[in-house]
Amino acid sequence: MSLSRHMALAALAAALLVITGTSADAQEKPRTGGILNWFDYGDPGRLDVHAESPLVVQQATAGVYSGLLQYDPDEPSKIIGDLAERWTASPDGKTYTFHLRKNVKWHDGQPFSSADVKASFDRVLNPEFKSPKCGAALKPMVASVEAVDPNTVEFKLKFAAAPFLPSVASAWCRVAAKHILAKYGDLNAPEAQIGTGPFKFKKYERGSVIEWEKNPNYFITGLPYLDGVKQFILVGGPTQLAAAKASKVMLWDAWPPMRKTQADELARARTDVDIYQAPINTVFFVYLNAKKPPFDNPDMRRAVNLAIDRQDLVSKALEGAGVPCAILDPKLVGDFALPLDEVAKAPGCRQPKDADIAEAKKLVEKHYPGGIDVEVAVRQVGNYVDRGQLVIAQLRKIGIRGTMKTHESAAGYAAFGKGDFTIIASQDRAMDINEPSGVFHIAYTTDSGSNYGQYSDPKVDEMAERALKETNRDKRKQAYWELQRYLLAKGDHASIAVGWVEGWFFKDKKLRNYKPGLTTYDNNTFMKVWIAQ
Amino acid sequence: MSRAVARFVVAQPLGAAGALVVLILIAVALLAPLLAPHGPKETGFAPYVAPSREFPMGTDQVGRDMLSRVIWGARLSLYVGVASVLFGITLGALWGAVTAYVGGGADIGSQRVVDCLMALPPIILALSLMAALGQSVNNVILALVILLIPTAARTVRSVALGIAATPFIEAAEAAGASRARIVFRHLVPNCLASYIVLVTTNISYAIVVEASLSFIGAGAPPDEPSWGGMLAAGIQALETAPWMVFFPGLAISLAVFGLNLLGDSIRDLTDPRLRGGLG
Repeated sequence: MSLSRHMALAALAAALLVITGTSADAQEKPRTGGILNWFDYGDPGRLDVHAESPLVVQQATAGVYSGLLQYDPDEPSKIIGDLAERWTASPDGKTYTFHLRKNVKWHDGQPFSSADVKASFDRVLNPEFKSPKCGAALKPMVASVEAVDPNTVEFKLKFAAAPFLPSVASAWCRVAAKHILAKYGDLNAPEAQIGTGPFKFKKYERGSVIEWEKNPNYFITGLPYLDGVKQFILVGGPTQLAAAKASKVMLWDAWPPMRKTQADELARARTDVDIYQAPINTVFFVYLNAKKPPFDNPDMRRAVNLAIDRQDLVSKALEGAGVPCAILDPKLVGDFALPLDEVAKAPGCRQPKDADIAEAKKLVEKHYPGGIDVEVAVRQVGNYVDRGQLVIAQLRKIGIRGTMKTHESAAGYAAFGKGDFTIIASQDRAMDINEPSGVFHIAYTTDSGSNYGQYSDPKVDEMAERALKETNRDKRKQAYWELQRYLLAKGDHASIAVGWVEGWFFKDKKLRNYKPGLTTYDNNTFMKVWIAQ
Repeated sequence: MSRAVARFVVAQPLGAAGALVVLILIAVALLAPLLAPHGPKETGFAPYVAPSREFPMGTDQVGRDMLSRVIWGARLSLYVGVASVLFGITLGALWGAVTAYVGGGADIGSQRVVDCLMALPPIILALSLMAALGQSVNNVILALVILLIPTAARTVRSVALGIAATPFIEAAEAAGASRARIVFRHLVPNCLASYIVLVTTNISYAIVVEASLSFIGAGAPPDEPSWGGMLAAGIQALETAPWMVFFPGLAISLAVFGLNLLGDSIRDLTDPRLRGGLG
């Protein structure tokens, strides 16, 4: 880990310490009982955390399951065991052995064993199984998973890979019960939400609320402190803000973050909350469908890449809270990110935009002399509709006349997953791990989990794989710099990074021991959270 | 002409005020490209700028001039209102007149269809239609046409039934006039007064439905300058930028108020009972 990364994490940890009042928490005796109320930004519809990528799916099920590993609820930058008590790595870094906790029970009373771990990871690693988060991260690295005995599991890697442990600890790589997978075939139904986590899945009322209740047999004695967690499904900024202002929710640490104006409004309405600004390890992407006209044409993709004014979008849509243009955010991955002053000179990012707009216009005119009409899709979540309008306005300057089509959240995911779109004006993609490889395996390589545009460039795949396999830190950094330079210079990718998203969040001052994760949605098991009187 | 106007102003002062508002609305809609200082979709300004000399109605959440959007919104509202009412009321009126004259099974059957359509709450029906048709201004018009047809059919049918029983229709039948001639030469022209009242009173209704659909995100696409859409965006920043709600809200209120005053006035003038002071 680089010095700058250490410094970034230390600074973030210090900030979070102030926000969450850890020193005060440590002096107080945790109080048991109470229900934590917060919200999902949309209705997840499907609940299979292995198979889905919407953040609401992860949020809906986070406290129900355990992972082999987890990010420490007390110190979110640190990886600790969860179902694994301890683990060892072979000297060549290609074999990891996990020793599991004994006497762990599933919520239905069945005993947990290594067979469950194998079944879960075999499932996400199956080439036929679409696993856009856990699977997309692990498939390039993991060769096989074996249950050595009922309490030991061995992972064989294809090569020594730095992102392996962070990926296994990701909240998307939860362990599901083998007998439940056999019974239901997937994890979509509420009845299939049988985990080993601190909370049991209690209720899912479509479009209304998701509830968990305390697991009295949780394998860590004394936890959780809360009696339960309620997640209201609140769609749209005004509804979410109204609930926050009316003290109906105690926490806003999920996507979408509040914008500055919303945070100011909340600060005027409530004095019993701590409001803080933070990066959320999420990229705001514009996607082009590389399999359909007109964006199957590299010139047209290049035109859009040149025309999108990232700075304007970050300034207006994110109210300035974000890092425009960057493929990797230095605040999150330190010097693995290409220096921002170099990024700012890249085609499409450089300001003023006049030369890029003129070039983009020529490219469009070359193929569509009278301009072209396209449908611009967005999901009706967060402020995507506003972002979409800005993108449409920018594209109009180069002769691409967009008409907006809005989708309900789950319906949008379904359409985008099938390639049923021309342009997606806004889709935030959260990283699974706070590691440079994350973003490339989310959106840039051919098999990446959120490569909605179905873009494929063998050179990108080869460069990403080479960087992933590199064990020497400096060489790895150089490999990622080369990859970023290549993507910025070529400028015809179907996943266009507008910027890294930051925003404002809050937590009720009565909430104790809540530490926001370094990636959105890690640490939302609430296993150690409690509510003061 | 000027005398007629003066007589109208004296006889119907509220109607005259409504007519003035409607005339201004039409003028603003027609002259939008000349009156609006900026394009309605131009996003080149800072967001949430309060009303000032440069932006008399402020800017919205993505940096568009609200004055330009409100001006262009008049064009969109009027287009939706007039087009949907002309198509919807005309088709409904023809349906009502024809089935009233034909009578029998055709009349009974068609009225049951009207019953079914009228049994559905209008906004639910409009929402369902928009969900099926997809978001566009022309689809809003189509949804409104489907909403307006049954109202017009039921109203005009009741008028046409009365006219069909009058001696001049019997005389036309006795003279051997064809059914089509009787309907289009004698029946329909005599329903014209009802038709005009339906048109004038329903334009404001259509504008309100369009604004309502856009407000809930099911009407015109969000970047179109729809007053309802502007209201919806404004709600998101009610405390920060109240002008985003105030001006489109004012525009909707004024337009509907003016159209209602005018519609009421025309109804009064065309209804002999009200005209004679019997109403």
